Amino acid sequence: MLVLNNLSKTYTPGHPVLANLNWEFKAGEFVAIMGESGVGKSTLLNLIAGLDQPDATSTPPIMLDGAAMSALDDDAATRLRRQKMGFIFQAFHVLPHLTLHQNVALPLLLNGMSRHRASEMLDAVGLRGRADDYPHQLSGGQLQRVAIARALVHRPGLVLADEPTGNLDPETAHSILMLLRNEIKASGACTIMVTHSHAAAEMADRTLILTRSGLQVAKTVNPIAQEK
Amino acid sequence: MKTQGMPAAPPRGWTGWLMALLLAALVVASFVSLDLKWAEFASPGALASMAEFLGGFAPPELGTPFLLKTANGALETLAMSAVGTLLAVAAGLLLAIPGAGRLGLPLRAVVRVLLNVLRSIPELVWASILLIAAGLGPFAGTLALAAHTAGVLGRLFADALENAPLHAEHSLRTNGAPALAAFLYATLPQTLPQMLSYTLYRWENNIRAAAVLGVVGAGGLGQMLKYHLSLFQMPPAATVIIAMLALVALVDAASFATRRWLTN
Repeated sequence: MLVLNNLSKTYTPGHPVLANLNWEFKAGEFVAIMGESGVGKSTLLNLIAGLDQPDATSTPPIMLDGAAMSALDDDAATRLRRQKMGFIFQAFHVLPHLTLHQNVALPLLLNGMSRHRASEMLDAVGLRGRADDYPHQLSGGQLQRVAIARALVHRPGLVLADEPTGNLDPETAHSILMLLRNEIKASGACTIMVTHSHAAAEMADRTLILTRSGLQVAKTVNPIAQEK
Repeated sequence: MKTQGMPAAPPRGWTGWLMALLLAALVVASFVSLDLKWAEFASPGALASMAEFLGGFAPPELGTPFLLKTANGALETLAMSAVGTLLAVAAGLLLAIPGAGRLGLPLRAVVRVLLNVLRSIPELVWASILLIAAGLGPFAGTLALAAHTAGVLGRLFADALENAPLHAEHSLRTNGAPALAAFLYATLPQTLPQMLSYTLYRWENNIRAAAVLGVVGAGGLGQMLKYHLSLFQMPPAATVIIAMLALVALVDAASFATRRWLTN
């Protein structure tokens, strides 16, 4: 699904933010990435999304479904994100002037798909009957539900989540993570979630730790993965 | 005195006092340089002449033919202000996009200079210049309003676009929206109420400006006023002034109500 091959990123010569990362993410798996602040977690997500360019290497450093991300120009990367990726942000990033239905339908609209599934997704995330409401009428937890519906509505193969529960209280965060897990398992999307929260990471199939020396599997076992 | 629980007040520097002194000096210098003759202005003779002049305005001309002519002039002034503002909105929006740095910093600098030039030249000067090309009448007045207002609105729109929160547009770009779609769906709708509010406010200003522009032959109530005042026909001039006041009050009220509706 997604392969990182000697992925490096350097902003200041001699001080790489990421150095020689290697990993293979499989379709349908839910992976949490943890690490200290400034270690490059968000940079990694930006590189995977094609929003930033990795350091040049002899082999393609990021392969998504067999395609080299670094070979794509800006337009092609934009199209790829639109069709194959979904994003969930810490601050929700829901458009305030659009209704919930219009927000969720945006990826469908951008992909030229029928908007019918937006209603289904709102139902699935527990917002049945709220389609015509506006974001200012919702709580933080409800807004993140909208963001999850929007990220998954066009059936992307890859979901990237950057601290999706960072702005929520623990109880709401737990219910959002349960919802996220259930929805991505139902859709079969590979999900990479960057988080500082151990409670959030425990909801993933496995947790990776990002350090200066690369990606490593966390020693702790995610209980939810054991329940499978 | 120290308020309990509050941090200490910041120390007062000498720059504040210096600024106050400079400001006071500027005010005094302004009064001295203008040679204002308050005593002559308020003398019994001057006050009597003023009262006699103002008395000539009463009663206003209320004959039906003149009222119809005044209504027609008011409509022309209203139309000039509306079309002038509309043209300015279109030009202002087009200039605001590069003016907000959306097409690069060099173009931003060039457009900002152009906007400064457009709005630095008053409507009356624009009208005098455009009268040569467009001839006497409302067309020159309309273009004059559009030119000055495009400079004002272009600057305000550009600032609104620059200050708009970018996370919504960033989110759409991340989700694979093309740059234009992200701008149209995210940033523009966020700034639209503010832009409409600016536009209505400028329309109010343009009603007043359109009335004044008539004085240089640009049509409407202003032209009627100039005609009757130059012939010392005070009652018809009074009717035109009352029509101007009524028109401005009407548009002020409508604009105020619309802006309140937009911002609530």
